[in-house]
Amino acid sequence: MPEPKTADRELHLTSGEFIRGTRIVFGRELEAYFDSPIAYIYAAVFLVLSCTTFMNSFFLDGIVDMSAYFEILPFLLIPFIPALTMRAWAEEHAQHTFELLMTLPLHSFQAVLGKYLAAFCFYALVLAGSLPIVLMLLFLGNPDLGLICASYLGALLLGAFFLAFGLFASGLTRDQIVAFVLAALCGFVFVLSGHENVVEVLDGLAPTWQLGTWLYESISVLPHYQAFGRGVIALSDLLYFSLMSGFFIWMNQLSLQRSKY
Amino acid sequence: MINVQSATRRYGTLTAVDQVSFTVDQGEIVGFVGPNGAGKSTMLKMLSTFIHPTEGSVTVDGLDVVEHPLAVRRRIGYLAGDTPLYQEMRVDKFLCFIARARGLDGQGLEQGLDKVIDLCGLESVLKQRVKECSTGFRQRIGLATALVHDPPVLLLDEPTHGFDPMQVIAFRDTLRSLRNNRAILFSTHIIGDVEAISDRVLIIHQGRILGNGRVEDLANEAGIPGAGLEEVFAHLVRTTTPAHA
Repeated sequence: MPEPKTADRELHLTSGEFIRGTRIVFGRELEAYFDSPIAYIYAAVFLVLSCTTFMNSFFLDGIVDMSAYFEILPFLLIPFIPALTMRAWAEEHAQHTFELLMTLPLHSFQAVLGKYLAAFCFYALVLAGSLPIVLMLLFLGNPDLGLICASYLGALLLGAFFLAFGLFASGLTRDQIVAFVLAALCGFVFVLSGHENVVEVLDGLAPTWQLGTWLYESISVLPHYQAFGRGVIALSDLLYFSLMSGFFIWMNQLSLQRSKY
Repeated sequence: MINVQSATRRYGTLTAVDQVSFTVDQGEIVGFVGPNGAGKSTMLKMLSTFIHPTEGSVTVDGLDVVEHPLAVRRRIGYLAGDTPLYQEMRVDKFLCFIARARGLDGQGLEQGLDKVIDLCGLESVLKQRVKECSTGFRQRIGLATALVHDPPVLLLDEPTHGFDPMQVIAFRDTLRSLRNNRAILFSTHIIGDVEAISDRVLIIHQGRILGNGRVEDLANEAGIPGAGLEEVFAHLVRTTTPAHA
């Protein structure tokens, strides 16, 4: 009996070929975002929600900084990033274009990376919609620009991480709603496990196990993200976001391979 | 150019393709005919590298589809069943995306696009979104995506699905014109398509090849000399005797 075919030994691509293919997928995906009215609605709702929440705190506290904006951001991203990523692969399956994409002479990792970078660019552009707040703060006083830049870096890295597992969730299912719920649940766990109230409750439930503290230190995204909000750009936090994003991008690529077997 | 040896594909306990062997040579048009669920699309998916054979060997232009999927994809033009297209894209942008993904650039890109737009008669719908096109036009767009890079191997899954009679006639002429230096394998359950344009017929049923050859030869072997493909097909499927594998 012939040896079962289990390996997917694709040809090695040169870096030029890899970048070219990734750029082609990236261009199509980014255009697809801007081609849809849903993207504009998404951007408008996100900006209105994030900016009004900030303005409320800003007028109440009267402090010339953006900490209120960046504190609320992880909680806003829990539903917003899955809404952005849910269609990425689920729609490819629903429209049967997955087969088209996977039979083009592109490595599956090029397709994954192209989609990821397009989603990241769209997110970055939406986040850039909050830059008028910085201009307003500069007009009104003397905000700490270093702190604001570090906070934006943290927001970009947080988004990059959420996008990676959002795309992974989308690749697991043909149903956009399932992809949304799955990614939102993951986001919920990653964010809330770092909230002090949740940590206290979980520690109280199992004092010997210190479950809340363990989740806070090992799983949660909040301590890593909040460091940027204090103006601290630590290598450990950069590594955390890079490795977690990279892990889910890799998992996404692996999950696409299962259709071959 | 296409060489399939004892290819088997299983989905769990279901064997969709069972020990199938055949070849398609350069300059040959082969019709792959069988009832729904016979294994035609599964076989084409294996040839397109979309799925792996569970057992056996599938090669295109001497390249194994598992070992060298990218090289195989560069050599094939594949129109999948259901004609998957990005519905929201404009036709010209969609064709450009596919052409670039297939490695065309610069003047080659323009020439490739001009050629398939002319060949498939897409000039009038170029500025429309794919979803706004009729079923026949969508099928032609799908065909254009398979041809844009001038591949030496063409794999077409139900290519005349959605065509009106005039479009079917035009498609047959197009396929004949593409024969030179190409290996063409197309699946269908429309017997007329196969009789009209195929040099050879592969009859598949329940994942196994029941017949492989010219219609006259198959009729003789089936003991019904002079019979048409429809009779031969019906006879072989009813008796369900695997042969010519």
